[in-house]
Amino acid sequence: MEKEKICSRVVEKLIKNGADDATVSLYNQETSQLKFSNSRINALKTWESSDIGVFASFKKKIVFTNIKEFSERAVDDVIKKIVKFMDFASPKEDYYGIAEGPFRYRKIQDSYDPKIVGLGDKAVDIVQSAINKADSSGAKRCAGVFSFSKSSVFLTTSNNVSANDKATKAYFSIRSFADKNASGQQAGFSRMLKYIKPENMAEESAKIAKMALKPAEGKPGNFNIVFDELPFSNFIENLGEAMSAFSVDAGMSCLKGMIGKDVAAKALTINDNGMLSNGYNSQMFDAEGVPSRNTCVIKDGKLKTYLHNTSTARKFNVKTTANAGILYPEATNLVVGKGDFSKQELFEQAKNGLYITNTWYTRFQNYQTGDFSTIPKDGIFRIENGQISRPVKDIRISENLIGMMKRVSALGKQRKRIIGWGDVERPVVAPPAMIEGVRVTRPR
Amino acid sequence: MKEEIADFAVDYALKKGASYSEARLEETSANSFALKNGIAEASGFYRVNGIGLRIIYNKAMGFASTNDVKKEKIKALIESTISSLKKASAITEKVELSDEKFSSCRYSVKQKIKLEDVSPEEKIRLLMDADKETLSSGTNMPSRYLSLSDTTTTEYLTNSDGAKICATVPRSNFFYMLTAEHNNKTSQRVWQYGQAGGFEFVKKWGISSILAREAKAMGENLRKGIKPPKGHVDVVACPEVVGIMVHESAGHPYEADRIIGREGAQAGESFISPEMLGTRIGSNAVNVVDDPLLENSHGFYRYDNEGVKARRKYLIKNGIINEFLHNRRTAFEMGVKSNGSSRGASYDRESIVRMSNTFMLPGDYNEEELVEDIKLGVYMKNFMEWNIDDKRLNQKYVGAESYLIKNGKIAEPLLRPAIEIKTPKLYSSIDAVGKNPEYHSGVCGKGEPMQGIPVWFGGPSVRLRKIRLA
Repeated sequence: MEKEKICSRVVEKLIKNGADDATVSLYNQETSQLKFSNSRINALKTWESSDIGVFASFKKKIVFTNIKEFSERAVDDVIKKIVKFMDFASPKEDYYGIAEGPFRYRKIQDSYDPKIVGLGDKAVDIVQSAINKADSSGAKRCAGVFSFSKSSVFLTTSNNVSANDKATKAYFSIRSFADKNASGQQAGFSRMLKYIKPENMAEESAKIAKMALKPAEGKPGNFNIVFDELPFSNFIENLGEAMSAFSVDAGMSCLKGMIGKDVAAKALTINDNGMLSNGYNSQMFDAEGVPSRNTCVIKDGKLKTYLHNTSTARKFNVKTTANAGILYPEATNLVVGKGDFSKQELFEQAKNGLYITNTWYTRFQNYQTGDFSTIPKDGIFRIENGQISRPVKDIRISENLIGMMKRVSALGKQRKRIIGWGDVERPVVAPPAMIEGVRVTRPR
Repeated sequence: MKEEIADFAVDYALKKGASYSEARLEETSANSFALKNGIAEASGFYRVNGIGLRIIYNKAMGFASTNDVKKEKIKALIESTISSLKKASAITEKVELSDEKFSSCRYSVKQKIKLEDVSPEEKIRLLMDADKETLSSGTNMPSRYLSLSDTTTTEYLTNSDGAKICATVPRSNFFYMLTAEHNNKTSQRVWQYGQAGGFEFVKKWGISSILAREAKAMGENLRKGIKPPKGHVDVVACPEVVGIMVHESAGHPYEADRIIGREGAQAGESFISPEMLGTRIGSNAVNVVDDPLLENSHGFYRYDNEGVKARRKYLIKNGIINEFLHNRRTAFEMGVKSNGSSRGASYDRESIVRMSNTFMLPGDYNEEELVEDIKLGVYMKNFMEWNIDDKRLNQKYVGAESYLIKNGKIAEPLLRPAIEIKTPKLYSSIDAVGKNPEYHSGVCGKGEPMQGIPVWFGGPSVRLRKIRLA
């Protein structure tokens, strides 16, 4: 039986066995990755997978599972297990259902590229060119990955949804080292091969690494700091986690109780755009089939909404923002409105302070208050009289997320598409930013 | 489990010209239950099955995986991997593996109470009872998120050097995130428990009493907490804090792939270099090991994911850097034998150098002796915020439940004392080690795509002299 037909059969059988709501999604993916270190490719990897994800509710008792064998018998086994499982489960009293279709979907620009599908062994040349560029731009060595994938999704639900989409994605990350203590990193993505520029990223990472040679110990204090797109995206991603209605409910959000209030400086407007052209997580519909949309979450510093699926929206007495995750709503592509400043003008705004090109290991003391710390890594530089000056090392930012967002005083006019290992795992489109009076600490 | 499909894959890759091949077949079943503010969230059960292959051809390394475990699919995957390696091998790193002894072995972790015999109802009831205990602790606890999950994984690992290892390991995990409130001020705690074995360990943890104790301490801290002292003070760090310290600054920097630079763009590198073996990093009192052989530990295994027999590794011995963590690839590069530290989170992840159970060995002191000669100091029982730089030098630990030590006695609760310190200074400041070891569970992240892997970290309480609090 075709896999799509199996999905429809699962929905029918769940309803027949007493389910009130059911969604079944089929996800196929093929990914390749070239990993490199010490300026040599060290592994070629490929992954293939095909999964059916199942969600069902029975009188507010909700269950999720997957199907690994695509046969009528496997389907019957899973249905039996779900029904038995439901006998003992407890109701989720604050579950309020899934969206009612049918819906009409709009295509997303620049979301599928046959050139990525057919890339194959040509990826080796792309990586080798980037390594050569980093080495010729001053790196002693470099490390990173180039990943590319094609995927398709089919979704069917008990509420008249039947939807398809497909995607290609490319991701490149490179960290150049001018010596053990001097490095620079760039990371980015594209849905279309023509927009991703590994050589440019290699050159930029090597440039930062070279500038970072012979760093001095950093000093503690409050500084005006210019954050590059990469570290600023880390803060925006953490803000994105706090936007989910699930986080608000679970006590894991510093945005709880802040609708209509100032949560950032006027300069800051943030949208969640599931329809973003060339957006890493853009898809025509969310996990319950609601057409994706562009939602303004923070407008001129004021919080307008949380991110919702149908159930959390009904609980909060608002409309869904098309951000299902059925179990919890989640951001798609977070897009920060651009400012008016060139990078040099941001340095001039800071006048005397720091320029930070990357951060890592952001951890919260309290998600509800937003108290956290993070560690600047790669090139960290002093700004003196509006100019980049000496590199520094071994500092930490110990701050409050909302407090910091309220001190954003200037944004760059060029934005980058960022996704990266560990600290920006959801895509963010962001400019560099100047933030005033950021608290810096250091080990004693 | 159709082990013959993995054997077939290894043979087929050799037939196609590979100099080394390895197959890892996995079948996992899992269950999860969660409670948010006393209300059941979704319950789930799922399965993972698939095969992962590592192939060396012309000294280039390839990895491929699929969850379609059929001969024709595997043949196609091997052929395309070898085709790519053939084209790329002229410019790739030349990979060689250390020579090791391999054997056949089957083992499983015993369960007194089988995970599959415990009903979803009983698991949810445990969470609900624990939630009620939290609410009756006397502290206002407005947000509670609790989850209980289990996995049972059977893996068959075979390679062209003769390894045939089949292991079945069941694991349980309990996670909580609590928010306490008093006079419009809040504090939070996240922690987890995890072990290999049956449901008897979930019962042994005593989930309800864990949360009741935690909620009470959080309330006391909010109501009575004072600011930590300034200047240089002595600190008694308790097992949870010591555990995260040794994981972050004695485990990670000793991973040989980081030292070589292979994780440079991801988990980072290390302040340690090969020349530092045999040099001093801490006081004589400091002994740190990584040991996958602890029965029923979260990071338990007898053979690693390259089929190498596991053993205890002494990372720091009497304050001296003693040994790094190796897989076969890093061992060859450094001219040593693998010490069985290669792990992959699942069949679809390349195995890389990982920790298992990393802990400081106990000393001779009881806790009273650690505290009794401190005039003014800090007793840090546990923590919330922490981080460390990617070379593993500059680290921070912020206390959650913490107390002032005054004239040799534990006194008032302290609000968020923070240690911000470099690694050599941290281990050199330890002058006494307790005899009260504990082991705590975590999921360690490394690799790209990210691989979360079960570990324990721990140790006894230790005394750190003259620490300047941040």
